[in-house]
Amino acid sequence: MHAKRNNGGIAILAGTVAIAIAIFSSVKVKQPPLAAASELALRQPTGQPQLVSIARLPHGSVTPDGEMCEWAPASTTITLFAELEQEKIADSSARTRSEDAGKTIEVMRPPVRTIRDTDPIYSSIAVDAHFDEVILQDENLFGLKIFNRLDNTAPGARFTEPKRVIAGPKTKLQYNCGLYVDQNSGDIYSVMADTGDRILIFSHDAKGNVSPARELMTPHRGYAVAVDEEKQELYLTVQFPPKVMVYRKMASGDEKPLRVLEGERTGLADSHGIAIDPRTKLLFVNNYGNTSNYRVAGTGKFNPPSITVYPLEADGDSAPLRVIQGPKTELDWPGAMYVDPERGDLYVANDLGDSILVFHETDEGNVAPARMIKGPKTGLKNPTGVFVDNKNKELWVSNMGNAAATVYSLMANGDVAPLRTIRSAPPDKLSIKFGKTEAVAYDSKREQILVPN
Amino acid sequence: MHDLGYDAVHDELVVTSSLAQAILTFRGGANGEEAPLRIIQGPHTQILAGAGALAKVTVDPVHNEYLVPGAPDTVLVFPREGKGDVAPLRVLRGPDTQIRYPDLEGGDNPPVGVDPVHDLLIVGTRMPGRRGGGEAEEEGASSDSPFRRGVPGALLIFDRTASGNAKPRAVIGGPQTGIGRVNQIAVYPPKGWIVASTGNSLCVWSINDNGDVPPRWRIPVQKITGGGSGGVALDPVHKEIIAPDSANNSVITFYFPEIF
Repeated sequence: MHAKRNNGGIAILAGTVAIAIAIFSSVKVKQPPLAAASELALRQPTGQPQLVSIARLPHGSVTPDGEMCEWAPASTTITLFAELEQEKIADSSARTRSEDAGKTIEVMRPPVRTIRDTDPIYSSIAVDAHFDEVILQDENLFGLKIFNRLDNTAPGARFTEPKRVIAGPKTKLQYNCGLYVDQNSGDIYSVMADTGDRILIFSHDAKGNVSPARELMTPHRGYAVAVDEEKQELYLTVQFPPKVMVYRKMASGDEKPLRVLEGERTGLADSHGIAIDPRTKLLFVNNYGNTSNYRVAGTGKFNPPSITVYPLEADGDSAPLRVIQGPKTELDWPGAMYVDPERGDLYVANDLGDSILVFHETDEGNVAPARMIKGPKTGLKNPTGVFVDNKNKELWVSNMGNAAATVYSLMANGDVAPLRTIRSAPPDKLSIKFGKTEAVAYDSKREQILVPN
Repeated sequence: MHDLGYDAVHDELVVTSSLAQAILTFRGGANGEEAPLRIIQGPHTQILAGAGALAKVTVDPVHNEYLVPGAPDTVLVFPREGKGDVAPLRVLRGPDTQIRYPDLEGGDNPPVGVDPVHDLLIVGTRMPGRRGGGEAEEEGASSDSPFRRGVPGALLIFDRTASGNAKPRAVIGGPQTGIGRVNQIAVYPPKGWIVASTGNSLCVWSINDNGDVPPRWRIPVQKITGGGSGGVALDPVHKEIIAPDSANNSVITFYFPEIF
C-alpha cells in the first residue's frame, strides 16, 4: 500500500517539475543588465563564479590591516562605488594609451576648485585735486578705479561703484604698484611691477579697455614713482638690484635715464616707497632691508627697514645724507611715501604695521615717528598707498587688506576713525592678498595649500 | 617669492630670502612674524643668484637635503639641518651639465625636482636665445629683457648625487616636448612621473623618457582657464594637481588620477 502511495507522490512531483520547466521555457525572462554585460564581454554563464575584471580600489579604501573598508561616518557623501565611478571619468583607456611614449593625452577637464579673491586689492592711491577724483590701483582684478573724492560707502552698502574704470588687455594694467597723478593735466602714471617692466601713462579721461597714451620702459622690479614737476623729472624706485632711476618726466619708449642712484654706499636695500620735496631739494626712499651684491656670492644681509635721504640730484654710488632706522621707527614693510612740503612731514604707509607713520623730514637715526595712525577704529589693513591732499587738508590711504580707501584729517594721530571710507567689498572683508601667484606647495599634514607671494 | 617647499617628513617649510642670498627653514605650522628655525647664509655657501635673485628651493626630506639653483649654471646641495655659513655638500656645475642659467644680469633660476626613491635629480633649464620656440612666452616686458629670454628649455635628469661637471643621464628637450619655460617641477616617485609647469600647461613625463619626446599628458591650463600655470604641487591622497595661475591671480586645482 505504501509503495503505491510513494509511486504516486513521485509522479506528482515529476509532473509538477515538468510543468514548471515548460512554463519557464515558454516565457521570455527579462535578462538583468549584468547578463547583457557578460554577453558583451564574450562571457557565458557557467554556474560558477568567474573572474571578470580587476580594478584598483580607490586609495585609502584598504586599511593597513588589510580591511577593505575604512569606517566612515554616516554623514559621508563618498562611497566606495562613487570613488570608483569618479575614476572612470578619468578614462581608463587613456591610461592604457599613455603607457606608450610619443603620444600626448590632452586632459581638458576644468579645475575642480579655484581660489581667487573676487574683490579688488588696492596697491596704491592718488588724488586728482583738480577734478576732485580718487584713483585707486587694483592689482588683483587689474585696473584703475576712479571715484569721486567725496564718496563715502554707507555702512549697509556692499560697495561703492566707481565712476570710471580703466581696465582690459589693451591697458596692460596688471600687477601694478606705483601711482602718480599729474595735478595739472590729470595724466595718470602707473608702475608695472615685475610682469611688465614699464610705466604706463594714461590721459585723465581714459576709460575702459584703452591703450596707454605713453609707455616708458624701465628696469625689472619697479615699485614707486614720484615726479619733480618743477624740473620735469620722474623718479622710480627699483627693488632689486636696488636703485633709483631718474628720467625726463615726458620720456617714453627706451629712453635712457638722466641719472641712476645705485651702489653699496647708497644704503638702498630692497627699495620701495619714494617721495621728493622740491622745496628742500630732498629725495626720500624707504627700504625693506634685505640686500646683497648680486655679483658676489654670500654677500646677502638682513638689514632692518630704513628711510634713506639724499639730495634731489643724487647720482651714482652716493651715500645718503641721513638714515632713519631702528626699532623705535616702527617701520615694517614700508610702502608708499608722501611728503607734505608745507609742514615738512613725511608720511609712510606701513604695510605689516597696519599703520601710517609720520616723520619729520629732518629726522635721523632710531627715532619714533612724530605721529602714528593706528588702531581698530582707523580701518587700516595692510596699507601700502598714501597720498597727501594739501588742497583739502586730507590724508588718503589705500589698504591691500580690505579693498578700501580711507581718508583722515591731515593732522590725524592715534586710533582715529576715518573721515570717509570708499569700500569695494563688504565691511568685514579680509583680502586673500594674492600678489601674483607664481608657485605653490602642498602641506599634506594639514591639507593646506601654501602660496608664496 | 617664486618657490616654496614643504617637508612632510619633518613638518617644515623652506623658502629662499631672494634678495639676501639665504635659505630659511620655518616650522610647518609657522604663522605671522615667526622667526625661522634655521638660516643658511654666508660666503661659504656659494649662493649666488644674479640679478634674477635667488628664487627656487627644493627639499629632499628622505636624504635631508636642500637643492638650490643659482648662478652661474649651478645647483647647490645643502644639508637640511645646516645653519649659518655652511658649505654645500655638492655643487653641480660645468658645461657638460647643460645647465644654463640665463646670466648674472638677469633671468629666473631654473627649477629643481628630486626623486628620492629612484635617486634622480631633475633640473629644468632655460636656454639663452631669442624669443620663440616651444610654447609662447608671456606678454609683458620688452623682448630685450633678460627676464623674457631663454627659450626653448629642457628637463635634465641626473643621478641624485651628481656633482661637479657631470653629464645628465637623460635630456628631455626639443620641439616635440613643447618645453619653453619651466617654472616649477614636482615628482611622483611611486610611478616615476615628472610633472612640470611650463607656463601655459602642466606636462607629465616619465623619469625614463629621454630626447625629443612629447609629454605623456598635458593639461593645457591656458586653453582651459585663459590663464597659465606658474608652478605645480601634487596631492596624491586626493589625486589632485595644484597650480598657481598668475594670469588670473588665483590658485587652481585639477583632479588628475591618471598619474597617481
